[in-house]
Amino acid sequence: MGILKKPTSLLNTTVCSDSIYAELINYSEETIMANPLTLIMPVLPDTKLLTIVELLAKSQPAIDAALESIGTVHFARFSLLDRSKPNLQPDLLEINKPSSTLMIGVITVYDGDFNPYISDFVAQLGDVFNALLAVVVDGSTITPVQDNIAKFQDFVTTNDASQHKPNENLFSAYPQTVQQILAAFPPQ
Amino acid sequence: MGAPIIDFKDVQGVILRGYRVKFARHFILSITDTQATARLLQSLINGDAGLPQVTTALRREVRPASFLNVSLTSAGLSAMGVSDDDLKTFDASFQQGASSDAIATIIGDVGSSAPQNWIGGLGDGQQVHMLISLWVRESTDVMDSITAKLNDAFEGAVKVLLVQDANALPDDKIHFGYRDGIAQPTVIGMPPNNNIPDDQPPVATGEFLLGYKNQIGGTYRVSPSQLSTNSSYAAFRILEQDVAGYEDLLKSFSEQSELDTEMVAAKICGRWRNGNPLTLAPTQQGSPLPSEEINNFTYVKPPAETDDTLGLTCPIGSHIRRNNPRNGAVVGTDSTHHRIIRRAMPYGPVYDPKKPDDGDRGLVGYFVNASIHNQFEFLTGQWNLESDFVKSATAPGGEPEGNAVFNISGEDVFLGVNEDESSSFTFAHDGKNGANNTNATGFGRTIITRGSVYCFFPSITGLSYLASLPTQ
Repeated sequence: MGILKKPTSLLNTTVCSDSIYAELINYSEETIMANPLTLIMPVLPDTKLLTIVELLAKSQPAIDAALESIGTVHFARFSLLDRSKPNLQPDLLEINKPSSTLMIGVITVYDGDFNPYISDFVAQLGDVFNALLAVVVDGSTITPVQDNIAKFQDFVTTNDASQHKPNENLFSAYPQTVQQILAAFPPQ
Repeated sequence: MGAPIIDFKDVQGVILRGYRVKFARHFILSITDTQATARLLQSLINGDAGLPQVTTALRREVRPASFLNVSLTSAGLSAMGVSDDDLKTFDASFQQGASSDAIATIIGDVGSSAPQNWIGGLGDGQQVHMLISLWVRESTDVMDSITAKLNDAFEGAVKVLLVQDANALPDDKIHFGYRDGIAQPTVIGMPPNNNIPDDQPPVATGEFLLGYKNQIGGTYRVSPSQLSTNSSYAAFRILEQDVAGYEDLLKSFSEQSELDTEMVAAKICGRWRNGNPLTLAPTQQGSPLPSEEINNFTYVKPPAETDDTLGLTCPIGSHIRRNNPRNGAVVGTDSTHHRIIRRAMPYGPVYDPKKPDDGDRGLVGYFVNASIHNQFEFLTGQWNLESDFVKSATAPGGEPEGNAVFNISGEDVFLGVNEDESSSFTFAHDGKNGANNTNATGFGRTIITRGSVYCFFPSITGLSYLASLPTQ
């Protein structure tokens, strides 16, 4: 399969009608092997940006190791946002000041279906999820995630923008899975 | 932390014990009177009113002549009075039921295997409430005698939707001619089985019983607490086998691969028909291996002489390797997180090539787990229906010999949907990126789902709770 092209009906379109939206989704489902995750989680009121930055920095080695081990994630990153700012970017000068407008974004592209593998993700990243959810609105109702797999799955479904209209689309330049790429281009 | 102490007398026997019997009879029931069903359950718990007692996992000095266990569906628990709020704490797939469109699609019960084609009204999950299964060691007289007592007890309490019999075949074989029931997980907390050593890690108790730590360090629980600890779930499956169709498939694969049909049969399963694994008997079937050897192997085992990372000996897409990759590298975690206990037996007459149409035959029984979603359904929906779950891995000889990713295709030959136009099975050979592989194609389904029920096996405490509910 070659590089994906935008359906012609979507060119020069500013309003996405149901039919055009359906075409976009069908097109994506037929041609793209990977799926997007855009998990946006509001942070608990009166939480310092520094708390989250430190938490993520501390967790990063474990996250990287787990994602490599899981083997289905193409790319993953965190985005810390502040919905009180016009450009949504947090102000580092306020890093030690309690805030009630922060949001944590977890943005990834992964192979296959997420739900069947949710326990595998929890097996590898459960304690990281627990630490993150400790500073997230309603997070305490689903932790420890090891004991609340179904609730955690519901939480992800609810908060993953990529599972909701109009955000389900994904462009991918290639159809291969992570493992197919690693097999074809083994790390030197 | 040491192994948990399991209260075996509170656990239904079929979950943790293999009964090793000749006959089984499964009664699939719809509750018509809740109070009468409660009395029926209480009689089975006590073993009174002339009925056999529910068998527990407590090992007895003398093996009984028969064994009996009881399970309920989500609709059945609701019928007995379990509240909607409590039902929401149960396994999400169990709540939906095996006949729901979503579940049927996930696990490949589509087309000829779709719920609308199931026998006994099992396709209408709302009317399927309870399963009572009876296993008998030797005597059909015992089976008939207990059946008569059960039928009397069913009167006014439940309606019998289906009676599904099963009967063991010689040498523990199934209708496709393979010896079955060899590999079962070793469960932490169970006495070790010294007769069948297994070169795989034991699996957490909580993978098979609610209320104990599972493989991810959590604990599956339901509400109320009386229904939780020592209970379990299972998928009850009636799988019809087309023996003539399978023999034709073997001939077709043989022509495409230039291997003889018995080698093809071994490649598809991962074991020869006598049960010997290809990993230990790579070139010919040989005499049946002793029990201490037959399940004691792994696939990734350097040096090159013993390693089968690439599936050149036992195909990565073989049935036993898809359903339990052992130490083969897969995406996610590893095989210990997706084990099931199999309690199935053949049904129907022995296949006679001279009379291929002399009745339906297949396999019927329970696939036991503490999470239908993460165990049974993961196996059937992912590892049996996909081919991209294998991690990039090379053999000790390195990249020129190939990569595991390229040595699997299609779906499981036994349990896949296997549409004629897209079906594929890979016979792997040395060569970069699978260059020298042979893919057998153009085959259809030879195992059809004829019924499926997602069941909950309450603990004995749980059964007593259910028996008490209608009077509260």
